[in-house]
Amino acid sequence: MPDIILTNVTKRFGKFVAVDKLNLNIRSNEFITLLGPSGCGKTTTLRMIAGLETPTEGRIMIDEDVVFDADEGINVPPNKRDVGFLFQNYALWPHMTVKQNIAFGLENLKWPKKDIEERVDELTLMLKIREFLDRYPSELSGGQQQRVAIARTLAPKPRVLFMDEPLSNLDAKLRTDMRSELKRLHKTTDSTFVYVTHDQLEAMTLSTRICIMELGKLMQYAPPLEMYQSPANLFVADFMGNPSMNFIEGKAEKTDKGVRLSSGGLSFAFTPNSALEAVPEQAVIGIRPEHVLISDEGGCPAKVYSSLPSGLETTIRLSLGEMMLTSVVFGGLDFELDSDVSFNFVPNQAILFDKGSGNALARGSLELV
Amino acid sequence: METIQRNQVKRLGRMTQTFLSKPANLILVVFLVLLTFLTLYPLLVLIFETFTVHSGREARAVGLPRGSYTDYHFKRLLFTLDDGGAMGVTYSNSWIQFYGPLLNTLSVAFTSSAVAILFGGTVAWFITRSNLKYKKFISGVFVFPYIMPAWTLALFWQSFFKNEFIGTGTSNGILASVFGIYMPEWFVYGYFPISIVLGLHYAPFAYILIGGILRNMDANLEEAATVLKTSRMRLLRRITLPIIKPAALSTFLLVFASSISAYSVPVFLGSPVRYYMLSTKMKSLMDTYSGQAYIIAAVMIMFGIVILGINQKVTGSRKSYTTVTGKSSQVSLVDLRKWNRPVAIFLVILMLLIAVLPLITFAAESVIIKAGNYSLSNMTLDFWIGTNLTYLDQGDSTGILLSGKVWKALFYSLALAVTCAVVAGTSGMLVGYAVAKKRGTKMANAVNSLAFFPYLMPSLAFGAIYLAMSVRVSWLNGFVLLALIGSVKYLPFASRSGLNAMLQLSGEIEEAGQIVGIPWWKRMTRIIFPIQKSSLLSGYLLPLVSCMRELSLFVLLVPTSNTLLTTMLMQYSEKGWAQFGSAINLLIIIVVLLINYLVNKLTGASIDKGIGG
Ligand SMILES: Nc1ncnc2c1ncn2[C@@H]1O[C@H](COP(=O)(O)OP(=O)(O)OP(=O)(O)O)[C@@H](O)[C@H]1O
Ligand SMILES: [Mg+2]
Repeated sequence: MPDIILTNVTKRFGKFVAVDKLNLNIRSNEFITLLGPSGCGKTTTLRMIAGLETPTEGRIMIDEDVVFDADEGINVPPNKRDVGFLFQNYALWPHMTVKQNIAFGLENLKWPKKDIEERVDELTLMLKIREFLDRYPSELSGGQQQRVAIARTLAPKPRVLFMDEPLSNLDAKLRTDMRSELKRLHKTTDSTFVYVTHDQLEAMTLSTRICIMELGKLMQYAPPLEMYQSPANLFVADFMGNPSMNFIEGKAEKTDKGVRLSSGGLSFAFTPNSALEAVPEQAVIGIRPEHVLISDEGGCPAKVYSSLPSGLETTIRLSLGEMMLTSVVFGGLDFELDSDVSFNFVPNQAILFDKGSGNALARGSLELV
Repeated sequence: METIQRNQVKRLGRMTQTFLSKPANLILVVFLVLLTFLTLYPLLVLIFETFTVHSGREARAVGLPRGSYTDYHFKRLLFTLDDGGAMGVTYSNSWIQFYGPLLNTLSVAFTSSAVAILFGGTVAWFITRSNLKYKKFISGVFVFPYIMPAWTLALFWQSFFKNEFIGTGTSNGILASVFGIYMPEWFVYGYFPISIVLGLHYAPFAYILIGGILRNMDANLEEAATVLKTSRMRLLRRITLPIIKPAALSTFLLVFASSISAYSVPVFLGSPVRYYMLSTKMKSLMDTYSGQAYIIAAVMIMFGIVILGINQKVTGSRKSYTTVTGKSSQVSLVDLRKWNRPVAIFLVILMLLIAVLPLITFAAESVIIKAGNYSLSNMTLDFWIGTNLTYLDQGDSTGILLSGKVWKALFYSLALAVTCAVVAGTSGMLVGYAVAKKRGTKMANAVNSLAFFPYLMPSLAFGAIYLAMSVRVSWLNGFVLLALIGSVKYLPFASRSGLNAMLQLSGEIEEAGQIVGIPWWKRMTRIIFPIQKSSLLSGYLLPLVSCMRELSLFVLLVPTSNTLLTTMLMQYSEKGWAQFGSAINLLIIIVVLLINYLVNKLTGASIDKGIGG
């Protein structure tokens, strides 16, 4: 089982840098998600590992073999990399039936006829497309086409499976179904998955590790929960989580216990868990909505600006003077608009960021003074 | 130090190897080299020739030996505005040989483009956007004038309208002899008929390009306006016309470029009254002052390049317009109501006039014994199937269907057309594939432009240059020479339809095969070709048909004028053997239509798919 190692992989289209010095280490059997906003270079990265795109610089290794090295001029073609690729728009061959689509690659690999039959049988059973074997792709629904595409990709038993936003064309319900299918597939096929999406929920729920990118740069590479709880920088903190993190931004001063932040006429005290070396002049403190607790008394006063109950949870916007804070309360609660409430910050859940660099500096507790 | 160098060499080697292991790169490199030799090199030869002293008269006029450098051609052709003169008339060589024909060329090109767009565009609108009757017939016959040789209409025009009082005026045409109507000279020869005939010949261009846009145009655009109670006229003016504008402009430029280099039409309809265009002037100068002829050729190419540049600017910047999506389900057709029948009948008659009547005329011309007499007693099938026709005094003594000479030429023409089609069609497909794969790279752009370049070369000039080249390369003669120039000349059609077909196909379709290790040739033959079969085959059909009816490209290169059907026709018509000429003309047209019909029926490929894309 392969490890995939990317070293300083860069892709430029003319002057435009699509992927910038990317370093990534994918262990075998992982389910890695490349996550990021549109245009950040996810597809390009995937295509470079698969060999469909040639990097401008850097080195890619799959399973101890160097498959690409710009300095040495090595570039192994995609078919020799033993990978499967699931394309965003499926790319089924319109002139072949479902069966032919799945079998064509195997025939080309000179599999015996019997084995091909068996493999097609196995896959169509697993993916529930048995009854469509003799149909053409245009005679299938989006979800069915997608499953045919998965079957075709899985057929030669690739060691690594690349998937480029495979669920983006499906409706919400089918998408949820397919998510669990994919997760099961990962377990049963015993291969490495590299998955592209710009849906953070999908990334959170599916992957063993997430690689989050912006403008071609790696922002953080960590398991989903770690990424959620300890974002390495403002971008990741903002991108992960829905509703998104509260950010309080202002002038910072060093105090005995930690940092004092003035923002919107209010003053906040941040007490770090570990020693802080230097305090930036401009700082941002982030705290997740579920860590803003609403209580009837005994906290800081605020007004309810809006309340959006979804049944499972309620998202409340609180106004503190000029400042807005988002809070999430679980259970079917609702609040009167403009009613007075009080709130507390859960201790040890705030994160201090340097505004200039965007990097996380420390975790700690937050209080309004 | 040495190891570093060795590593560098190794790296370079590996990089070259990976680069060339990608078929698209290999194709681009091969065609870059080939096309540079086949198109740019001839261009350089052409420019070189404009500064060189050629044989006989030129050498005497310049006073230098053959092959020496001179700027005499430029001085003589472009700057000899006043030669003095005789009998009170000033004589200007430049005006007669160059500026006059240039002016004629531009005005003809301008008018014919306008005719093509107005006629083709209007018919395209009727066919795609209205409930016109007899659509099928009209649209089927409409492309005939493009499939048939351009001179067909010209010859028809001449033989239908000519009379003994105008032009070289030897005999009366059908109109004069049967109906006693004598048309004025401006109607029969010169600017007017040339423009009309070229316009009609290229109208299918406009029909296909504009019709394609209209057909794919989202009907919602029009419906949205209809809901707002916009009047029909306003709708046409404010919505429909702006959308087809880029296609119309594109057609205009293409027809303009083609008209500039048209040769056979001005030969038949201009030369009898000494109305010259650049192309005909070039041909006549080629025998005497070829240096000046080459300058004219260069000027024609220059026009072509400028027009192509404008065209690319126009279609490039307005791309979003031309790719209006075809998502809409229902296209609401305009109800023509009481106008339907008159318009339909008018168009049907017009189609009969320009597509069917010429055939009947040629058939008639090929069976009458004495010109101008269309009575039954004056008719014979001798020109087709007669033997021992010594009484005819027309060189040949057997009808064309019994003449070995004709069959040989037919076979030669067919073999040549098939060869050119296979070479050009395959090359075009490969070029289209590679350019689409490597879209945006410098090399892809270079190869794409080079592959389109032959389109801008006036056939006659192209032929002349290849003639010059063939003198220097020993194996370049006979069939090989003709096949080579034909393939290069028709590559633009094939590469355009190849590129269109490939661009419609998402790259992932091929990559899906690549990733499971399907080798390149198998991806081409089992995936790409089957999916885009009809578009790609159209890239073969266009060269086939064009080659079969080509004259000006080959006329300078054929070993004897009996080699090809078209050159044979040219020879017969120069000698005034009208009946044999008409019979051969009819034969060519029938063969071409038959090929087109068969290929279309068997494979679904069609001319309009090739040009329209
Ligand atoms: N062939 C190309 N030529 C030029 N620029 C390109 C090309 N392919 C991609 N890019 C650019 O590179 C950047 C990254 O593209 P990429 O397709 O990897 O984005 P992505 O993260 O997959 O986005 P999305 O979520 O929208 O699919 C984009 O800004 C894109 O415009
Ligand atoms: Mg993408």
